[in-house]
Amino acid sequence: MERKLRITVGDKTREVTVQELGADGHPLPAAVAVAAIAAAPQRRPLDPKWSTIQRDTNERMSHMLPYLTRGSKVFQPADTVAVLNAVIRSGDRVNIEGNNQKQADFLSDCMCKLDPKQINHLHMVQSSVPLASHLKAFELGIAEKLDFAYAGPQGAAVAKAITLGKLKLGAIHTYLELFARYFIDLTPKVSLVCAYEADKDGNLYTGFNTEDTPLIVEATKFRGGIVIAQVNKIVDKVQRVDIPGEWVDAIVQSPKPFYLEPLFTRDPGLITDTHVLMAMMALKGIYAEYGINRLNHGIGFNTAAIELILPTYGEELGLKGKICQHFALNPHPTLIPAIESGWVQSIHSFGGELGMAEYCAARPDVFFVGPDGSMRSNRAFSQTAGHYAIDMFIGGTLQIDKYGNSSTATAGRVAGFGGAPNMGCDSHGRRHGTPAWLKCGEEFTDQQNLLGDVPRGKRLVVQMQETFQEKMASSFVERLDAWKLAEQAHLDLPPVMVYADDVTHILTEEGIAFLHRCKGLEQRMAAIRAVAGYTEIGLQAKPAETKSLRAAGLVKTPEDLGVDRRRANRSLLAAKNIRELVDWSGGLYDPPARFRNW
Amino acid sequence: MSTWHTLQERSFLESSARQRAIGLVDAGSFSELVGPLERFVSPHLPILGEAIEFDDGIVTGVGLLGKHPAIVISQEGRFIGGSVGEVGGAKMVGALKLALSIFESLQQGSAAEAEARRPIVLISFETGGVRLHEANAGLLAHAEVMDLLQDLRRKVPVVALIGSKIGCFGGMGFIAAATDVIVMSEFSRLGLTGPEVIEQEMGRNEFDASDRALVFRTTGGKHKFIMGDCNFLVGDTLADFRRQAQHVAQMSMIEIEGMRRIGSRGAVERQMKLVAFAADLRPRDSTDMWKALGNKEPQQLIAASEEEFQKIAVRWNA
Amino acid sequence: MALNQLHFEFAPATPRAFPVAAVHYGVVGSGDMEVIIEACALAGKTQVTVTTPVTGFDHVWQLVLGRFIDESQLADAHISINDNNATPVVVSLRLRQALLEIGE
Repeated sequence: MERKLRITVGDKTREVTVQELGADGHPLPAAVAVAAIAAAPQRRPLDPKWSTIQRDTNERMSHMLPYLTRGSKVFQPADTVAVLNAVIRSGDRVNIEGNNQKQADFLSDCMCKLDPKQINHLHMVQSSVPLASHLKAFELGIAEKLDFAYAGPQGAAVAKAITLGKLKLGAIHTYLELFARYFIDLTPKVSLVCAYEADKDGNLYTGFNTEDTPLIVEATKFRGGIVIAQVNKIVDKVQRVDIPGEWVDAIVQSPKPFYLEPLFTRDPGLITDTHVLMAMMALKGIYAEYGINRLNHGIGFNTAAIELILPTYGEELGLKGKICQHFALNPHPTLIPAIESGWVQSIHSFGGELGMAEYCAARPDVFFVGPDGSMRSNRAFSQTAGHYAIDMFIGGTLQIDKYGNSSTATAGRVAGFGGAPNMGCDSHGRRHGTPAWLKCGEEFTDQQNLLGDVPRGKRLVVQMQETFQEKMASSFVERLDAWKLAEQAHLDLPPVMVYADDVTHILTEEGIAFLHRCKGLEQRMAAIRAVAGYTEIGLQAKPAETKSLRAAGLVKTPEDLGVDRRRANRSLLAAKNIRELVDWSGGLYDPPARFRNW
Repeated sequence: MSTWHTLQERSFLESSARQRAIGLVDAGSFSELVGPLERFVSPHLPILGEAIEFDDGIVTGVGLLGKHPAIVISQEGRFIGGSVGEVGGAKMVGALKLALSIFESLQQGSAAEAEARRPIVLISFETGGVRLHEANAGLLAHAEVMDLLQDLRRKVPVVALIGSKIGCFGGMGFIAAATDVIVMSEFSRLGLTGPEVIEQEMGRNEFDASDRALVFRTTGGKHKFIMGDCNFLVGDTLADFRRQAQHVAQMSMIEIEGMRRIGSRGAVERQMKLVAFAADLRPRDSTDMWKALGNKEPQQLIAASEEEFQKIAVRWNA
Repeated sequence: MALNQLHFEFAPATPRAFPVAAVHYGVVGSGDMEVIIEACALAGKTQVTVTTPVTGFDHVWQLVLGRFIDESQLADAHISINDNNATPVVVSLRLRQALLEIGE
């Protein structure tokens, strides 16, 4: 197919045919090819037999070219549907950048306006599907198959779409697992990404919410795919080039800034005395015991409570400088008091957090801040760090079964686990030693039965969970709801967030079970029963057995740990509300409106 | 243990109704009236299967501020949102009647003594108004309280202390408006119709109740202070509130009368002027008002600590 | 629909009489409770009355209260609880804190 185009770059004007662009084998998108033609570089022509992907891409982009403003990669918001229509074909693998936080929401909305009669059977490969429009594409029959990691608020809609036959589920991955597949068998053909700023050449500034963008673009562009970006603002010069313009084919300034969810903000005002008790137990029984210096905190009020008692209870225990110095962690506002008190040396982040940009930028000793003066996050790198370079993951869950498997999956919701499983597991590829990792490995009796006398460490994986949640829902169950979900949604296997063989500690208000110190499954189950309180599982505990587990140091109650329950109240929190976090930050933290209490 | 001294530096916002009541008056001087041991519980809630509280969510009692008997009423927001039902309402009414009778009995003695020991009423509000489960009784209590405020006027100062999480809304917003002096912290709110109800009735475009920054700059202590709807803005400790109450206890009744925002021809005229000013200005946001009153950088006022704020804020009619 | 009242009686092994006339602690917030503990001549026993909107957890109350009495050996006392969906951990915590109020 041929198409005549008049191309002007600077003072040069040339008429070209699209065929010429494709056949001469430039491994570059059309709009960049424009510049390339103007500069007239000579490249070795590619053998058409070995450049089918590139020729296909060039052909598609030729349909997009007329929408681009002359001499740039910019198209108008009103043309967005037409641009998508030009480059997307039925059956394509498409990635809509849906991170934990930053969402290519405008492009997602526009994709839903494509004609399902013409464009359908799309295979969506994206880390998150938290927007209603992500699911709408399936309801409309535009998209058909989904491979993802996290659905968050759309968990119920995903389950429903599966049941109605509107959505074929590939698999629920972890972030790293899905990212890996982008480079093996799930490479996107078209990726719709988002950024804060772009210049007319397509250079992108992703702000401190860089998250997945570099990885998506690299996987797409280096396999001859097409990258389209929505940006909040088109500028003359971007603050920092996070993505080179060469790798971006077209950009549009979205009518509204992209949607950003403050997922990692926990209001200290909602932390309860029980959270404080468990945080005290964690610090004394685990952080101090193992000297945990490199870690990740799962999101929740339990870990927020730990962060907020570091400058009080932690200080009192003399732990400053001994624990919590290096984190793979999003910029949690509740960590501000500990950072300000000099506890933390470094934090690398998966993503940003609404309201924390200025604070992070002003603390370059702690956060990863670029030469431009703003932080950059990177989900792929931080997840890798979280998998290989931390000694402990601590976080909550929804249900723990009698064996110690845990899951946040509930019947009727296919939510996925995001990155938790990569941190909530022992990384078997790890080869470097740290005291915490080695100590935990030394205590791991069952491992020695397989390894003989060769020393090997173990990541601490701590599940921190009250025995009962709101409305007396039990956290300890005979059988995970994940089984029911697997049946309903025709999954290959029940979605387990953290497997029992990876869990080293279960921490409830009743005590800590040191599972890795147990011999065999029976003893592990007994230790779980001992901390399961008044749940059905906990009620099966035998007092004599619990007593011997305590004597053997396999279970420790607050009293065994020397934690004074009477001190477990909110007055231990270094900040009791959002305003106090702002005060700690010297006014640098700018909390979202919904969290303000003044 | 909640000793008086540890209570003083405690956050008012974080404290329970009882801790506030104990900490607002002089050390060791608080005696609770119709306390939890009396088990005067709501007769209506059990029928509805709703949880009850032994004090029905309101702490009443007597203490001292120097020589002044202080009658304390303190609402507990964590129990059904601090709503006022039959028992809690009756406890409020009883406490106010007690203030009046103390005043009257002091009148029997020397004038100097009556002046030196003039009682004071402290009401710590944390409520959305009437308890819907027992609305008739609750409404009646509101009316009786309103009546008593008129009886107490020019005799016993009634001070509204608003530093709680829920703040003061609904019918109790009217009650607060009818007191002599209003003391607030920046973390609390005062209004008639609550944010959620405004949103429900007028739509999200008119008022987004989930935008807490908006809610606070429309109903919060700082805004109320600038607009003259509250007389004093204080810090968030119990000591801060107690000191302000002490200060009012020592003021003359004429000064106190001058603190009222409504209830006289002059006050009504001042309010009407403010209404006219606002109508002319057509503000889109409370910060427009602040600006029009001479506050050049409204955002700075929001960020400012209570102390800084006191220094820089320009108030209506101040 | 109506509120439920549950009654329990415990006989601690080594009874310790409640040292003051009465103590009150707690606020009936959502997921929380209040308690009154009063001295009461019960021949070394302790009685408990729980008023709650929740049904179906009588055995859990029995166990949580039993453990509290075991630990404290509280005797010759009457305990009155107003509950609003408190979890066992909150119940245990409030009971302990009530004793703390009187310096126990």
